[in-house]
Amino acid sequence: MLNKILCIDDDQITLMLCKMVIAKATFSNEIATAKNGEDALNFFDTLKTSDKTITKPELIFLDLNMPIMNGWEFLEAFNTEKYAEFHNTKIIILSSTIDPGDLEKSKKYPLVIDFLPKPISKEMLEYLKDKIQF
Amino acid sequence: MKNNTNKITILYIIVSIILAILYREFFKIIIPSNPLAFSFINDLLFIVVSGILLRFVLHKNNIKNSEIYRKLKNTNNEIKESNERYDIVSKATSDIIWDWKILEDTMTWNKGIEAVFGYKQEEVGKSSKWWFDNIHPEDTIKMSIKLYSFIEQKTEKWQDQYRFKCADGTYKYVLDRGFILKDETGKSVRMIGAIQDITKQKEEEQRLKLLETVITHTKDSIIITEANLNEGKIPDIVYINPAFSVISGYTSDEIIGKSPEIFIGPNSNPEDHNTLIKAIKNKQECHIETLSYKKNNEPYWVNFNMLPVYNSDGELSHWVSIQRDVTEEKKQEVEKEQLIKELTQNNKDLQQFSYITSHNLRAPLSNLTGLLNLIKDIPIENQELKEIIDGFNKSTHLLNETINDLVRVIIIKDNPSIEKQSLLLKDIFEDVFSQLDFLIGLHKPIIKFNFEEVTFLNTNKSYLESILLNLLTNSIKYKSETRKLKINISAHQIENSVILIFKDNGIGIDLERNKDKIFGLYQRFHDYPDSKGLGLYLVKSQVETMGGTISIESKVDIGTTFTLTFKNK
Repeated sequence: MLNKILCIDDDQITLMLCKMVIAKATFSNEIATAKNGEDALNFFDTLKTSDKTITKPELIFLDLNMPIMNGWEFLEAFNTEKYAEFHNTKIIILSSTIDPGDLEKSKKYPLVIDFLPKPISKEMLEYLKDKIQF
Repeated sequence: MKNNTNKITILYIIVSIILAILYREFFKIIIPSNPLAFSFINDLLFIVVSGILLRFVLHKNNIKNSEIYRKLKNTNNEIKESNERYDIVSKATSDIIWDWKILEDTMTWNKGIEAVFGYKQEEVGKSSKWWFDNIHPEDTIKMSIKLYSFIEQKTEKWQDQYRFKCADGTYKYVLDRGFILKDETGKSVRMIGAIQDITKQKEEEQRLKLLETVITHTKDSIIITEANLNEGKIPDIVYINPAFSVISGYTSDEIIGKSPEIFIGPNSNPEDHNTLIKAIKNKQECHIETLSYKKNNEPYWVNFNMLPVYNSDGELSHWVSIQRDVTEEKKQEVEKEQLIKELTQNNKDLQQFSYITSHNLRAPLSNLTGLLNLIKDIPIENQELKEIIDGFNKSTHLLNETINDLVRVIIIKDNPSIEKQSLLLKDIFEDVFSQLDFLIGLHKPIIKFNFEEVTFLNTNKSYLESILLNLLTNSIKYKSETRKLKINISAHQIENSVILIFKDNGIGIDLERNKDKIFGLYQRFHDYPDSKGLGLYLVKSQVETMGGTISIESKVDIGTTFTLTFKNK
């Protein structure tokens, strides 16, 4: 089981669903949420300045289509030196997109380890458990 | 001759002497005295002197006679030689020689009349009438006027061109030349002529005239220039056709002798000039599209083709350039490009719109699905609630399916380049059948395969599977209620193409009514509850995305055959 994951999505119901499924599948101890890319960056900024004992998220579920700062913009910002200390955190894109270009684009970011369609499900988490092996 | 003269002289002397002796003897008898003894010596003297005189006269005469004889002989020889020469010439020449005695109106022809016109000697008429009768009706009046005014001495030389009828009824163009012989009074008595067959020259002339009309009447501009560069400039113009004058505004007089470089203007591409110079130096054909300038400095686009022309010695003699005004086409091309650009942009916008729309539809739908999945694990006591949630579940599922179908359509339309791999046909079908296990088990169709000709197919796996799934489920869905379902699937190789034939004996489709709609979006041909009108549309899209074609043959209540053709490269 993971210690902490971060779900980034502007849709409250999606976030709720994530929390419920993750809890049911005993996938992670702690679930943090952010409502867009900017919110997520703020989350990491706070982590930087705060007590080192606070756990960093080991995995991010990232939506693409969000207001203020979308998933791609978040990836661009997160992929910089500024957030280098968090680059052990793996990212999984979780999206309803059908644009084949999105999958291609995601391959440019080594931090992104998978690209999965919504909705999140217990089966999906089982598959991820095998893939990440924890 | 000299001997003869001597003989006559001696004979004369002997006879005279004998007569003189006889005369003296006679007088001896009559007059016994010899008063005339002295006169005999006189006689003898006279005889000898007259004999010498006679010989002289005879000799002179002889000389004169032999002179005349010699002359006569020479003349004879000359005539003979001349006749022989005439015979030789008239035999050797390809011309037809005719000889017309005007007063008697008799006409003779040499053998050329047979060789050139095909008339046997017995077919040739003996008078001038035959000659005139065989001249082409359109030429005969003009020809006879010229001929008679010549005979009447109004002209000095006679030659004429006309058409002469051959034995087979066709006409040949001839050049006829003649001269006249007159008697002592200056009257024309005889005419001799030579006819030359000029059909080939005439035909060539007419052919050239015809070719010339092409140059003078064509709408394309034609410019002919000299062969070599003139001080590094494009060679000087020697000819322009009327079309060029019309297009450029320059007349022949203004332009001949000048280099075509005057057509270059401020917006002409200097590269085009270099290309031309290079082609002229290398004696190579050149094809460019360039901006040229008219006399009034108005620019226009020309499609320009320049060809080297060689003379009979194989030396470059001229350049011929053919030009076409393509300004309008250029303009249309630019407009077309603009239109394509706009359409491409519109298409991209629409595509983006469809992506966003489907994303926005799918996002809440995926929440619904996710939430319903969670409900599955929660036991529900209330029967009514259970039914409601059941309905919820089914509707969500159907909505999900529909949206997924639509998304598939959007993605196929947007993804023209797809990855292909070489796959065993047998494996693909096994895969498809395993996916349809349930349906096949339920309906138990008789399925026959024939993949002997083709084992591998270079294709996109998921597309081909989707195509075959759609066709197979259609066959099962629309099977006849009265016949056992039979499906025949075969593959054939024709040149570089693989042809897949998919044939069933189902209820068929009325193609008369539905031919145009058969592969259309949301076209349904049977009122079945689960038909969405998407299958064949998807099939066609997928076939075409892989560069293939699909066609259908169908008869109501007999069956349907689909023929799919793929390039197997």
